[in-house]
Amino acid sequence: MSSPIQAWRFPSPMSAERDPTTLSRRALLGALASAALPASRALAAATPRIVSLDYGLASTLLALGIVPIAISELADWDKFVVDPPMPKGVADLGSSLELNFEVLLALKPDLILTTPYLDDLLPRLGAISRVLRVEIYSEESGRMLPAAIKATRTLGLQIDRQAETEAYIARADALFEDCRRRLSQVARPPVVLCDFLDARHARVFSRPGLLTNVLERIGVKDAWPEASNYWGFQTIAIEELSKVSDASAKLIAFDPIPDDVLPKLKRSPLWQALPFAQPGHFRVLPPTLLFGMLNEAMRFARLITDLLEAET
Amino acid sequence: MTPRLTSSCIGPAIVALCLLAVALALGWPLLTPALRAGPAQHYDIPRMVLVYATLPRLATAILAGAALSLSGALFQIVLRNPLADPTTLGVSAGANLALVLTMLFFPALLGLGRDVVALIGSAVVAILVVGLGARRGFSPFSLVLAGLVISLWCGALSAVLMLLNSHYLVSLFIWGAGSLAQQSWDIPISLLWKLAVIATGCALIIRPLSLLELGEDGASARGLRLQHLRALVIACGVALAALVTSAVGVIGFIGLVAPTIARLSGARRPAALLVWSSVTGALLLLVADETVQLLAGDLGDFLPTGAVTAVFGSPLLLLMLPKLRIRHRLQKSVGPARPEIPPLRSMLWAALLLTVLAVAISLMLGRPADGGWGWLSGDLLNDILPMRAPKVFSALASGAMLSVAGVVLQRLTGNEMASPEVLGINAGAVFGVAIAVFCLAAPGLGSQLGFAAIGAIAVITMIFLFSVRSGFAPERVLLAGISLSAMVDAVVGVMTTTGDPRALLLMRWMSGSTYNADMTSTIIVSGAAIALIAVALSARRWLDILPLGGLPAASVGVCLSRSRLALFCLAGLMSAAATLSVGPLSFIGLMGPHLAREAGLLRALPQMAGAAAIGGILMVVADFIGRTVAFPYQIPAGLVSALVGAPFLIWMLRRKA
Repeated sequence: MSSPIQAWRFPSPMSAERDPTTLSRRALLGALASAALPASRALAAATPRIVSLDYGLASTLLALGIVPIAISELADWDKFVVDPPMPKGVADLGSSLELNFEVLLALKPDLILTTPYLDDLLPRLGAISRVLRVEIYSEESGRMLPAAIKATRTLGLQIDRQAETEAYIARADALFEDCRRRLSQVARPPVVLCDFLDARHARVFSRPGLLTNVLERIGVKDAWPEASNYWGFQTIAIEELSKVSDASAKLIAFDPIPDDVLPKLKRSPLWQALPFAQPGHFRVLPPTLLFGMLNEAMRFARLITDLLEAET
Repeated sequence: MTPRLTSSCIGPAIVALCLLAVALALGWPLLTPALRAGPAQHYDIPRMVLVYATLPRLATAILAGAALSLSGALFQIVLRNPLADPTTLGVSAGANLALVLTMLFFPALLGLGRDVVALIGSAVVAILVVGLGARRGFSPFSLVLAGLVISLWCGALSAVLMLLNSHYLVSLFIWGAGSLAQQSWDIPISLLWKLAVIATGCALIIRPLSLLELGEDGASARGLRLQHLRALVIACGVALAALVTSAVGVIGFIGLVAPTIARLSGARRPAALLVWSSVTGALLLLVADETVQLLAGDLGDFLPTGAVTAVFGSPLLLLMLPKLRIRHRLQKSVGPARPEIPPLRSMLWAALLLTVLAVAISLMLGRPADGGWGWLSGDLLNDILPMRAPKVFSALASGAMLSVAGVVLQRLTGNEMASPEVLGINAGAVFGVAIAVFCLAAPGLGSQLGFAAIGAIAVITMIFLFSVRSGFAPERVLLAGISLSAMVDAVVGVMTTTGDPRALLLMRWMSGSTYNADMTSTIIVSGAAIALIAVALSARRWLDILPLGGLPAASVGVCLSRSRLALFCLAGLMSAAATLSVGPLSFIGLMGPHLAREAGLLRALPQMAGAAAIGGILMVVADFIGRTVAFPYQIPAGLVSALVGAPFLIWMLRRKA
């Protein structure tokens, strides 16, 4: 009966990792930053003090050789992103939705990287330092992997690291080619990518999502028959997994899976009757940031290739 | 059954039949699509869902409803308190907290026995609550007050733990809130045999229970060992609530509403009351769950039924409220004898000093980026102070206003459990703001304040209407307030599950956070606080006289209707303004007045001044702790105030009556 406590009993159904709410309405704020800023010469000189409010952008920074001075939700980096590891000495800004502005102010950053998800905070961020708003997941983005590459190039341009960016993108291409080559020599069953919300619901990842684009790149077929929203996922109930018609398909789930899910599934006839409950048709992959950028695509490519190679 | 029992069964039977009819009507669209399906293919989705998800869910609803109502009925009989149920006594919240703690810190223990963990949690709470109640002679109010306080504390701690671990524990949220979604027959079957065992036990003690009607002396004279019986019955009630909480999380309200409906429709003797409470509760939860499934469609599983039972229980309860005869004699709560009070003036100076100290520390002490502790100095002072000041002063102003509103309401209704929170006024303000946020494009601060005030005053009016004819009988006022509060909470909660971004903002604000406080809102709230508290202080004559009762007040020349109306509106305005700036605070309005009274401030003016100081200090301290203890993450001040304040209040309640 107490309102504050009741409030925390009503989570958004999509709040497992990120809340992909429809913020495309904030079009009026889209006029800020993005691609229109001229590159700053000053940043080329010393290592720029950059703060990232998004995991994907932070991991891209690391790939370009820059360590951010602070990121939001640092404590969960090892649970969700894992690779590349975040070096020591990076400050934690707290939860993205309730950013600790005192820490941010005290750090005096040169540049703040943000995404449309945090548009509410733009006015307050703009008062502290220059803001770069990178839009990857939006209705107009289309396929995610090219969109992520484009966003990486935008970021590289803005922080004056074009050479490193091109080298990085070339590395990614080489990795995808290598995975494709390795997989062409083994059996490649179609896969369904998912993560479990609870014992009754899961999110399935399919086109035009980042992970599905990676599958296409390395030559693995996505067995899910339907397309997803622009974030690349679709929330389903477990029994809908029976829509997959290919009998050889494998279900690949991502860690972390809530503790009570797998035991409950074992005892659930809804799950047991699915072809995925047969031995060998269900595998769990280590955590990968599901709404990330190029680094995450590369990590996923490596993980799935290792898995499919080991299966044969 | 004897003829006398049969005649008292007609009323409840009619209610049960009506509920059954509604349940069948609602169940039809849920069940028929699957039955109409064609020949079974390899994996026939509708049929699988029907057999392994929908039917187990309905079965669980029936069993959980029956168990909770039985538990509520047992508590109400043995404690002779029509307001007792697993939720108001804090038993469910204790079980839930135990499960959350175990899941986060000792997951291995859960494998050994979920039920055992839940039982331990609820047993600890029950012992605490009943122990506190016993010290005050089982006065119904102190019992429910203790239960309420502990329930709030457990709920706040669970909420904080889930908040700090929210990323991968969505399922924890949904389960803990009373989701009945199933994917196999495991849970209904396990609930069935456990319920059967306990129900059989209850059947054996029905006779001794009827002896309780004779009152304590009469019952002991007939040879009844009162303590043993009480312990046994309470143990059964606790076990039932713990088992249900362990299976499906916290489901509120059913245990309170079903026995009340059964009693009001004619089931008076213990045997009839137990049976008909269970039946009514089972059908009520079934109807609630079916409605949730039908209305929410695809998102039906993400909307926890337990959190919205109030939407169904409250209107029923409010409808039957006029028929509530006060059967149980309510003891007047006796204030503890005071040894020696320090002089008033020095106490008020001490309060002022503490307030200044609290504000100063909260402003100047903080945690810089490296995670240590540090005092603000140098150029950081200019940057960070303007950010902290609004939060601190908003907290101060809101805490003071809510406390004073609590004093006004408690004196007005003559009932020590009244507070803006318990009476649902905060919930009304939240509802008003929710409507503003969802209906208007971009409501400014002024219109939000207006809507909040309208919402608060609407709730006050409804409580007024429901209880004026009974002369504000404390029971009626409380029940009406609890119902309205729960109902509004549930409706707002439903609005927030839509996933709309505005709903997320609303949710964060609702937990009592000073995060969005800025200079403008702080100035407005502080101004409102000064003005409204000044008005309240000037009404001290009314507030001294009204608690004496209607007749004495009128005979001294106080115009009853005008004074009551004015004071109600004042309380509503204060709650609305405070709620708007920092969200509905879950505790200060209830606790501030009590702490002031326990400190020896009994008359209106000192109590209000003391309550304002205590409320303000408490909120400033809560805000400070919320900002620093989990640095750099921030815990909403409303939750912290419950965590910090509850032990204080419990400690004060420990004093013997």
